[in-house]
Amino acid sequence: MAKDALHGVTNVEIKAKPPCAKPLVEQLEIMEEYTRTYKAFESEPKDIREAACLRVLYPRLFREIEPGDLFVGRFDTLPIGFGSVTSLGGVGHYCVFGKLSEFKEKFKEKQLQDRVSALEDFWLKKDLRSRFLEEYLDEKLLGFFNEDGMAAPLIAGVRLSGMMLDYNKLVRLGIEGLEAEIRQYQKQAPDNSFYQACLSCLELFRECCDTLKQQTIKTLELSQDQQQKKDLTVIIESLSVIRSQPPKTFHQAIQLVWLYAILGGIINYGRLDDVVGSFLKHDLENGVIDEETAYRYVKNLWWLIENKRTTVNGRVIVGGRGRHNPKAADLFVKLALRVCKECRYVEPQFTLRLYKDTSAEIFDMAMDCLASGATYPTLYNDEVNVPAVMAMMGVDEKTAEQYVPFGCGEFTLVGMAVGTPNVCLNVAKTLALTLTQGYDPYDGVDKSGPVIFQPLEKLKTFEAFYGEYRKLHDYYCQLSADAQITSFKFQKQSVSYLFDSILTNDCLSRGKAILDGGVRYLGGCNETYGNTNCADGLYAIKKLVFEDHKYTLLDFKQALLNDYVGYEALQRDILRCAKYGNDIKEVDEIAVQAYNDLTCCVKEAGRARGLDFFGIVIINNMANTTWGNKTAATPDGRKAHVYLAPSNNPQGGADKNGPTAMLNSLLKLDPKQHLGAVQNIKFQKTFFQENLDKIKLMFQTYFKNGGCQLMVTVIDSGALQDALVHPEKYPDLIVRVSGFSAVFVELDRNVQTELLSRTLYDGA
Amino acid sequence: MKLKVLNIQRFCLHDGPGIRTTVFLAGCPLRCPWCANPESQQSKNQLLYQKNKCVGCQTCVSVCPQKAIRFLNNRWQLDRAQCICCGQCAAHCSSDALRLSYKELSVDEVMTVVLQDKNYYSDSSGGLTVSGGEPFVQFTGLLKLLKQAKENQIHTAIETTGDTKWQNIEAVLPFTDLFLFDLKADSAKAITEMSQGNGERILANLNRLSRLFKEKIILRVPCIPGYNFTSESIETMLGIAVSLGIAEVHLLPYHNLGKGKYEQLGLDYALGDLSMLKKSDLQVYCEFGERLGLKVQAGG
Repeated sequence: MAKDALHGVTNVEIKAKPPCAKPLVEQLEIMEEYTRTYKAFESEPKDIREAACLRVLYPRLFREIEPGDLFVGRFDTLPIGFGSVTSLGGVGHYCVFGKLSEFKEKFKEKQLQDRVSALEDFWLKKDLRSRFLEEYLDEKLLGFFNEDGMAAPLIAGVRLSGMMLDYNKLVRLGIEGLEAEIRQYQKQAPDNSFYQACLSCLELFRECCDTLKQQTIKTLELSQDQQQKKDLTVIIESLSVIRSQPPKTFHQAIQLVWLYAILGGIINYGRLDDVVGSFLKHDLENGVIDEETAYRYVKNLWWLIENKRTTVNGRVIVGGRGRHNPKAADLFVKLALRVCKECRYVEPQFTLRLYKDTSAEIFDMAMDCLASGATYPTLYNDEVNVPAVMAMMGVDEKTAEQYVPFGCGEFTLVGMAVGTPNVCLNVAKTLALTLTQGYDPYDGVDKSGPVIFQPLEKLKTFEAFYGEYRKLHDYYCQLSADAQITSFKFQKQSVSYLFDSILTNDCLSRGKAILDGGVRYLGGCNETYGNTNCADGLYAIKKLVFEDHKYTLLDFKQALLNDYVGYEALQRDILRCAKYGNDIKEVDEIAVQAYNDLTCCVKEAGRARGLDFFGIVIINNMANTTWGNKTAATPDGRKAHVYLAPSNNPQGGADKNGPTAMLNSLLKLDPKQHLGAVQNIKFQKTFFQENLDKIKLMFQTYFKNGGCQLMVTVIDSGALQDALVHPEKYPDLIVRVSGFSAVFVELDRNVQTELLSRTLYDGA
Repeated sequence: MKLKVLNIQRFCLHDGPGIRTTVFLAGCPLRCPWCANPESQQSKNQLLYQKNKCVGCQTCVSVCPQKAIRFLNNRWQLDRAQCICCGQCAAHCSSDALRLSYKELSVDEVMTVVLQDKNYYSDSSGGLTVSGGEPFVQFTGLLKLLKQAKENQIHTAIETTGDTKWQNIEAVLPFTDLFLFDLKADSAKAITEMSQGNGERILANLNRLSRLFKEKIILRVPCIPGYNFTSESIETMLGIAVSLGIAEVHLLPYHNLGKGKYEQLGLDYALGDLSMLKKSDLQVYCEFGERLGLKVQAGG
């Protein structure tokens, strides 16, 4: 079973990575050597084994520098190797079986294919994810962490996602400084293999610098281009410095962070302005580089992050409270905003933290960037998030100031926390299963676990029904915390994540790897999906069954079992009920109740199991679509296989009262109860541009009133064509012409066409 | 005391300064052929039917107590003389193809919605705009609404044709921060001809209001080809603004977005296929007005 499930797609790759630059046989040899090394060190301490295995991969897997690159550090991953996340290689000592069989098929000779098969057989028993799947997961309730697992209401995986390392320490001490610190600790514990392994990793870092330097010298010798020669010379100089010493220039600082992140398998880059801002300021003030050179560096870094293609990661966070030198950091922020406006890449997910000292210039630049059609920066509000993180993680204000969103928007703390989301819960499915008493019409499987339901006809009040929902819900919340803890247990048995541990407090002082007790705050989160569908469904039940007495719970049950076929009238009545996202008190209250119960239950379940923090996140990625595809009909009127509401937003087409109403609904969910929630808001490009001043004020009001985050998307005309085909899906399309009263969907079709083609672009 | 409310539209950006909520009230003494809100003209309720939404279930036929609805050759037909606008059909229409033009809401109910965006008004210098129809048709309710808005420190604007008794305008003055005063033609006679309104009264009210509070007026000129959209006419209207000491004029480009509503009401649209104007078509007049010392913008 493991092998089949593991063949599934682990992470949707929006853009494919380039194929490995090495010949196939060499790739095979590397994987064989990796496997041999793993075996040879199997009885050694895990940290020593990990250091040895990393030496097989690096510096060998680095690629040649490409024309135009201003930093080195392109590299390949193989189907077998070491990593911490699925979007880059795999987790721990991993084998990605799907990719390995694709690899096998590339060989024609049976003998070579057999060699691959031998690897496959070995890793089936050793690959962390396979073991987690085989030994812990249960298909029914707790599925595997990919699309295949999504028939279940929960999915769980092993990974160490979203590590944000203490890069400030890295650039302050340099490699030699880190080594000195480790040696200092080592004196107290000379037998601690962790220290020994950490030193080995730093030595490996040095070797990588030297190899890359030699490669770059060769490229330089062949180069005819004057600019490229200059650029390569800078890289060579930087590598000569950072192999050992702390960086002295902006270029060196970026190069150091970039290379370290690669070796650590890191795909989120922390508060980069805070890390490299002082170097930038120094270089500009002393004429080391001019602003345009700095711009080229940042642009190239963006390109390298884009090329790494980690899909929903690549976070670069700038701005906000708790930076060492905000003025210097803001120089980087402004450069990055210029680059962001020009580049429009999917990654990096460029994130701007706003606080009371964010300059009007930076805020305006950010709005300009969005108005131009770039989807970044994503905006975070420190005035709300810092207290929220204090509450959720139980940390003091100064610590909370170091919060950062990673991946799809989960919070962690730079250099001192693990916040990986290793479990996801489908709340919409949970509610639907309550109505169908545990039976899932999607696959005909009973998913009630130990929960015993009362017969629906005995439930005479909404509260009684809600109590039934809570039974299942609470059980699933407990399972989610269990899965999180278990995923840590599996990982710590076999890996130390050495590079990450070196730059995560307090691993070095405690002499322990991250998951062995090294990290200061061990937490995590539960990605919840279908929250809005659940709220809308609960409200529809309350209204239609217990207030209007128009239907019974059994009607709802039958409708869900039949995917609303034969129950169209009920479905239409449900769809006509008020929906979350319109600033309507009655339904928003239910959404708040369901949200509070969920957040509280998950938080407590995590704390009871010894996690420093555990909470829900409501975030953006593809899972709302993929999980929706494996979710039967839900009581909000949604039919089977339809996507679930994205992030914290209303279900598509349900928000009809305009953006202020939607933002007001979003504001009702207390940010002190979650570990990251994404709030999407969309505008047509010209509308946004023409009304920028007022929209800016609307955002500011929203933030002032407790808004934690905004992900603003400004859509081009192309995206609007769909509105013509399916106008009913776009009731939230803003029709605003002076003195004109209209809701888009109510307009004559020809008028809709005209409106889309003219008015929205011209404004009025 | 209930208001006949066509729509409460939040996040309006073109009906006065800042972010506003516009309350559209039913009833209007004018009959401008270009009217974009034809459902607003009558003070009585009307049934609107959206053909593209109708699934042909004929529930409306069976629930109508007046037997006013029928399907003839699969076409929905309403005997408007029989229809008493009881709303039974709309309440039972599962595809939302039928709706009544207005809802009766108390001033408190309207204010509850208006207050929901109060924070957005304060930060953007926005507020409440009462539009229509002609809001003065529901004078008593309008006054009460404006008073309540002011009690809640909300900026208020009225979008008006000016076709009402002077006493009504005088009564709302203490509670109104801004008049978006429509000027539809360059003379009383032309106004009456085009809109069937009382042109004399409109211009007299405009005169009187501008003598008292010219700074509270923005003149709004709908620019309609075939009616008032000639250089002579527009320039004369800009000249009127200058002579009254009104500083700001909005030239509103003709649009036909309301066309579909005519069909939904079973009415003909007099302007047929007349093309919409672009803001750029009005640029020359904006410049003309600016030379006269006015602040002129194309669009609201």
